[in-house]
Amino acid sequence: MSSVATAGEKTAGHTLGHEGEDTGLWSWITTVDHKRIAIMYFVTATVFFFIGGIKAMIIRVQLWNPEQSLISPELYNQLFTMHGTTMIFLVAMPMAVAFFNYLVPLQIGARDVAFPRLNALSYWIFLFGGIYLTSSFLFQAAPHAAWTGYATLTSAQYSPGFNTDFWFIGLSILGIASIAGGVNFITTIVNMRAPGMKMMRMPLFTWMTFVTSFLLITAIPIISVALIFLGFDRLFGAVFFDPSMGGDPVLWQHLFWLFGHPEVYILILPAFGVISDVIPTFSRKPLFGYPIVVYAGILIGFIGWGVWSHHMFTVGLGPIADSFFVAATMIIAIPTGVKIFNWIATMWGGSVRFTTAMLFSVGLLAVFTVGGLSGIMHASAPVNLQQHDTYFVVAHFHYVIVGGAMMGLWAGLYYWFPKVSGRFLNETLGKWHFWTTMVGFNLTFFPMHFSGLFGMPRRIYTYSADLNVDIYNQLATIGAFIFAISAVIMVWNIVKSWRSGERAGPNPWDAPHLEWSIPSPPHHYNFPELPTVQSREPLWNDGERESIQAVTMKEVETEPVMPNPSFWPIVLAFSITLSWALVMTGIWWVIALGIIPVFVSTLMWALEPAFPEGSGH
Amino acid sequence: MADSQHPLDAERIEKVFLIITAVMLLTFLGALFYSAFGMGMHLPDREEQIDVREVRDTPPFDEPGVRQVGDNEYEVVLLGYAWAFQPREIRVPAGAKVTFIATTTDVIHGVHIEGTRMNFMLIPGQVARVEGTFREPGEHLMICHEYCGAGHHIMYGRVIVE
Repeated sequence: MSSVATAGEKTAGHTLGHEGEDTGLWSWITTVDHKRIAIMYFVTATVFFFIGGIKAMIIRVQLWNPEQSLISPELYNQLFTMHGTTMIFLVAMPMAVAFFNYLVPLQIGARDVAFPRLNALSYWIFLFGGIYLTSSFLFQAAPHAAWTGYATLTSAQYSPGFNTDFWFIGLSILGIASIAGGVNFITTIVNMRAPGMKMMRMPLFTWMTFVTSFLLITAIPIISVALIFLGFDRLFGAVFFDPSMGGDPVLWQHLFWLFGHPEVYILILPAFGVISDVIPTFSRKPLFGYPIVVYAGILIGFIGWGVWSHHMFTVGLGPIADSFFVAATMIIAIPTGVKIFNWIATMWGGSVRFTTAMLFSVGLLAVFTVGGLSGIMHASAPVNLQQHDTYFVVAHFHYVIVGGAMMGLWAGLYYWFPKVSGRFLNETLGKWHFWTTMVGFNLTFFPMHFSGLFGMPRRIYTYSADLNVDIYNQLATIGAFIFAISAVIMVWNIVKSWRSGERAGPNPWDAPHLEWSIPSPPHHYNFPELPTVQSREPLWNDGERESIQAVTMKEVETEPVMPNPSFWPIVLAFSITLSWALVMTGIWWVIALGIIPVFVSTLMWALEPAFPEGSGH
Repeated sequence: MADSQHPLDAERIEKVFLIITAVMLLTFLGALFYSAFGMGMHLPDREEQIDVREVRDTPPFDEPGVRQVGDNEYEVVLLGYAWAFQPREIRVPAGAKVTFIATTTDVIHGVHIEGTRMNFMLIPGQVARVEGTFREPGEHLMICHEYCGAGHHIMYGRVIVE
């Protein structure tokens, strides 16, 4: 380890925060500290990861043999709908937001995010929205129209009951959390960078957070609008998507994928950001072509808006529209490919250390590229026709989302865990986690390419023995169980290392960015004084490192003034969730009454001082 | 490999990458245009609108089935509804030009003829029209590929090429 590791000895020994900090339950409920909110995001998303995972296991067992009926088709449809919805909206997105929260202020040299209470609000809305959506199972009314919810299957005529209501209301609630989060991170990154932290000196993770936040505030409103249309169709007899009254079911598909495709980049860009920080650290080389990687990320964000109809080639949009989306989709592969080459070039000639974080990053390069290649296959419309809505597509997007987004976040978990806890994650368990993930993941999803090409449709309760895809399904099921074991190893590692892991100093990996210049775990105010940055890798330049550490490792006599804790975020989040849940009644005055608590708690929030009195804020 | 860290050399490598990428892109696009215009591969087309409430009374959907329309030319009028195809069994001769004219009476369904690139969506209010030729005699499963509710898995038929 590096020479700076010893400097952290005096701060080690706390599992959470520093002496004199309140760690009781009430302090967590009212916290506005971005680091605690991040931990809550991570823990909650991990719980949902297991909930979503158990659904996947039941699906895999049901598909073991052809024409098997262990569970009912209705339950199966609820399980795959909620597996997709949970994994996207309650796992992959909030897991990335956990990393945004913890790291962005530390990486740019800020004491907190721009709007700390809004940040807490985002978390509580996510929690309550997730509980609301998942609670649908208790009423045996879980959503059952697939995570894409294609019209007219979601209409009141074809989906009576509360199932689809839970879905459209739950996603509407979660959308509020995402939009608020996006606004918060854009403001933080634009306004709160430390002196000298120019945009082109920011670590790549912060850059990708920035691009992702723009995608959040532009893409999520589209799905919100579509969901509100759907709500009006279902509850108040509107006909946006009803063809018998002149509505257009294809409109739903356009709106959904106009959100849905940028959403893919919302999931993958944070992972790209993580490994763009991890690979240089463990190669001991600055990122190869930093500006190119930044511009490629921005380009992905832009072109990501022009490819949505490649989900709709079988609809019949006509040759001109289809040709455009084919070309746009192939073009978007270029910036992604450029990034892959940059990461490889970063490792080239470096002194590479294969820690678990690095293994997950390199694993991402390999596995994500497989998903990227099958993506280019879909992009070609004639090929797409053979693959559309088959298991080939299921294989493709699991390679991209699990092999890309989730592997990237797990790399980040191993990389930044010492910063969060002051302790290392166990490397032996980490390697078990990595290899069971690689074996289990590939064994689950690789055979699906074949079952898909042989004609097995996705979202299917059972399949005919005539298709001859039994063996691929059985391999996938075995793989899924190995993959499940890897998740258990991960959680065991986190729990064990949090309590008794090997101690880590401020900069255990000898990494170059600002978050490694402060003690592990950081003080609740992050930086005693704001450091001045002069380069992209401040801790790798001897003089600059010393001048920064002189400021960041300083003992302070009076702590910097931090925002007040507040319980209005949790109250407002609960009110918002309640007011949306009352929409299910379909009675206008109940819905109107439900809005009152939202107004009251917003008002109380506005009247409450954000900072202690007399602090000058 | 030490040479590759020379700045000028890195530039050369970057240029090679860019050229390879550009060539790949142009090849893909060329293949696309060739398949669309040279080989005449077309995506399913949205031919006409239909009143979804009166599909069964609107010709040709009042009589779903296979009919010969010319010398070695066949038309298949196909209806999808929750959860079956009508007709469930389609018999066409090998090598004949087959045109599928299809729609749905309720929600969105799909038609995927296994082992071919025939894969199109049935959208309420729209008529899908797809042309193709089955070259080899044999039997294909015709599966609904668009999730359509509780009975999605039992919605399939057969195409028998004689």
